Amino acid sequence: MKLKITRSKINPLDEINKEYLSEAKCAFGLLFNEINDLCQGHLEDEDLDKVINCEQKCDRLKEKYIEILFKNKRGLPFLIEDRYHIINTIDKKIVGRCELVARFLQVFPFDIYKDIIDGIADLNQKFLNISEELIKCLELVENNFDEAYKKTFEIESMRRNAREIKFNITGILYKKKGDDLRIYLTSKLVQHIYEIINNAEEISDYLRGLIIKYPSK
Amino acid sequence: MSEIIVFSIFIVFIVISLLIAFAIGANDETFATVYGSKTLTLKEVLLLATIFAILGALILGEAVSKTIGKGVLNITVSDAITITVLVSTTIWLIISSAFGLPISTTHATIGSIIGIGLMGGGYFGLNWSSIIEMGFWWILSPIIGYVVTYGVYKIIHKHIINKLNGLKQFEKAEKIFAVLLLGTICWTAFSRSGNDCSNAVGIVLGGSQGISNNLYIFLLIIGIFFAFGIISLGRNLIKNVGTMTELRPSTAFAAEIPTTIILFIGTSLGIPLSGSHMLVASLIGLAKAQHAPKTKNSKKVVLIWFLTFPMAAIVAIGLFYPISLLIPT
Repeated sequence: MKLKITRSKINPLDEINKEYLSEAKCAFGLLFNEINDLCQGHLEDEDLDKVINCEQKCDRLKEKYIEILFKNKRGLPFLIEDRYHIINTIDKKIVGRCELVARFLQVFPFDIYKDIIDGIADLNQKFLNISEELIKCLELVENNFDEAYKKTFEIESMRRNAREIKFNITGILYKKKGDDLRIYLTSKLVQHIYEIINNAEEISDYLRGLIIKYPSK
Repeated sequence: MSEIIVFSIFIVFIVISLLIAFAIGANDETFATVYGSKTLTLKEVLLLATIFAILGALILGEAVSKTIGKGVLNITVSDAITITVLVSTTIWLIISSAFGLPISTTHATIGSIIGIGLMGGGYFGLNWSSIIEMGFWWILSPIIGYVVTYGVYKIIHKHIINKLNGLKQFEKAEKIFAVLLLGTICWTAFSRSGNDCSNAVGIVLGGSQGISNNLYIFLLIIGIFFAFGIISLGRNLIKNVGTMTELRPSTAFAAEIPTTIILFIGTSLGIPLSGSHMLVASLIGLAKAQHAPKTKNSKKVVLIWFLTFPMAAIVAIGLFYPISLLIPT
C-alpha cells in the first residue's frame, strides 16, 4: 500500500527531466575531459563517441518528455509552451553543440599550440562550470525563483569572463604566421566552445524572463 | 371543450415545456470558464454538463415554478399570455444560442411580458415601477460583475500569485484553483438545472394527473432536453464565452466565484441579477485587470443584450394572437 502511494506521487515529467539533465551533465563532463585530453595531446576517439552517445540518449529523452508534456490536456498552455521551449533550446543549443564539438574534435588534425593551452583549459573550465550552473538554474526555476534569478546573473558574469578568455586566445592565434589551416581550425575550435557558453547564457536570460513573467501573470 | 381539444392543448404544453428546457440548456454558459481555463476539454465539459443537468432536474426539479408576469403586468394573466411569453422567450433564447451569444433568460421573459402588456393594456398595461427597478438591476448586474472580478483578480494576484516561488508552486496553485472552480461550477450546474427544469415543468404540472404521478419520468425527459440544448447549441456558446479572454484556473476562479456568490445572495434577497450579464462583464473586467489586448465577441454580446428586450417583445406580440386562437381562455 505504501509503495502504491509513493508510486502515484512520482511525476513522470519530472523523472524524465531529471534523467535528461543528468545525461546532459554527463555529456558536459565527458567533453570537458576530452578537451583537456586534447590539451595534453592524448585525445581518444572512443571517448568522444561517448559524448555523441550521451547526446543521442538526450534526444530520446527529449522526445519522451515532449510526448508526456503535450499529453496533459489540462496543463497550463503557456507553462507547457515554456517547458517545451526550454528543453528544445537546451537540446539544440547546448547538448547538440557538445556533440558538434565532439565530432569536430574527431576530425581535428592538429595539436593545440603550446602558448594557448592554458587559455583553452580555462575556457574549457568555464564551459563546464557554466553548463553545470545552467542545470542548477533549471532545477531552481522549478522550486525557487529567487535563487534561480541570482543564478542567472552568475551565469552572465561567467560568460563575460569566458568572452575575455576567448579574445585572449584568438588574439594570440591571429598574430601567428605560417600554418593558416591550423590557425583557422584552432580558432574554430575556440569559437565552438565559446558558442556553448554563449548559448548557456542566452538560456539563462530566457529563464530570467520567465522568473519575471510568472509572478506578474 | 371536447376531450380531444384538451388533450391537444396538453400535448402543446408538453412540447413547449420540452422546448423551454432545450432553449435554456442551449443558452447555459455555466461551464464556459471551466472550458476556457482548460480545466476540462469540451467533451468532458459536455459530459459533465449532461450529468448535472439530469441530476439537477431529477433531484431539484420538483420545486414549483415561478409565476410568470407577476408584478410586471397590470392585466390578467391568462394561459395564452403565459404560453406566449414562454414561447417567445424560447425562440429568442434559441436564436441567440445559435449565434453562440449568452443572454439573460429573465430579461428575455421580461421583454416578452412588456410586449404583451403594451399590446393588451398600452401604457397602463405595465407596472412601470417594477420595470424601472428591473432595468436598474439590468444595468447594475454587469457593473457589479466587472468591478468585483477586477478587484478579486487584483487581490488573488497580489496575495497569492505574486508570492508563488517556482514553476511547481505555480502549477500546484493553479491545480487547487481548478478543483475549487470545478466543484463550484458543478454545484451551480446542478442547482441551475434544477431551477430551470422546474420552470419548464411548471407549465404542465397540474394539467394532468398522469404527469404528477409520473413526475420523475417527466423530469428525466426535461433534464435530457436541457442537456441536449447544452450539447447541440450550447457548445458554441460555451466556446464563445470561454474564449472571450485568456483564462487559466486562477483567473477563471476570479471571474466565476464572486459572481456566483453575489448572484446567490442577490437571488436570496429577491434582487433580479442576471448571471449571464455578470459573467460576461466579469470576463471583460478580468481582461482589463490582466491588461489583455482585447475581449473577443464582447461587442456582439452587449448588442444582443440591448436587442433582447425589444426583440422578445416583438416576438411575443407576433405570437400572441395565433396562440390565443389555439388556447381559448
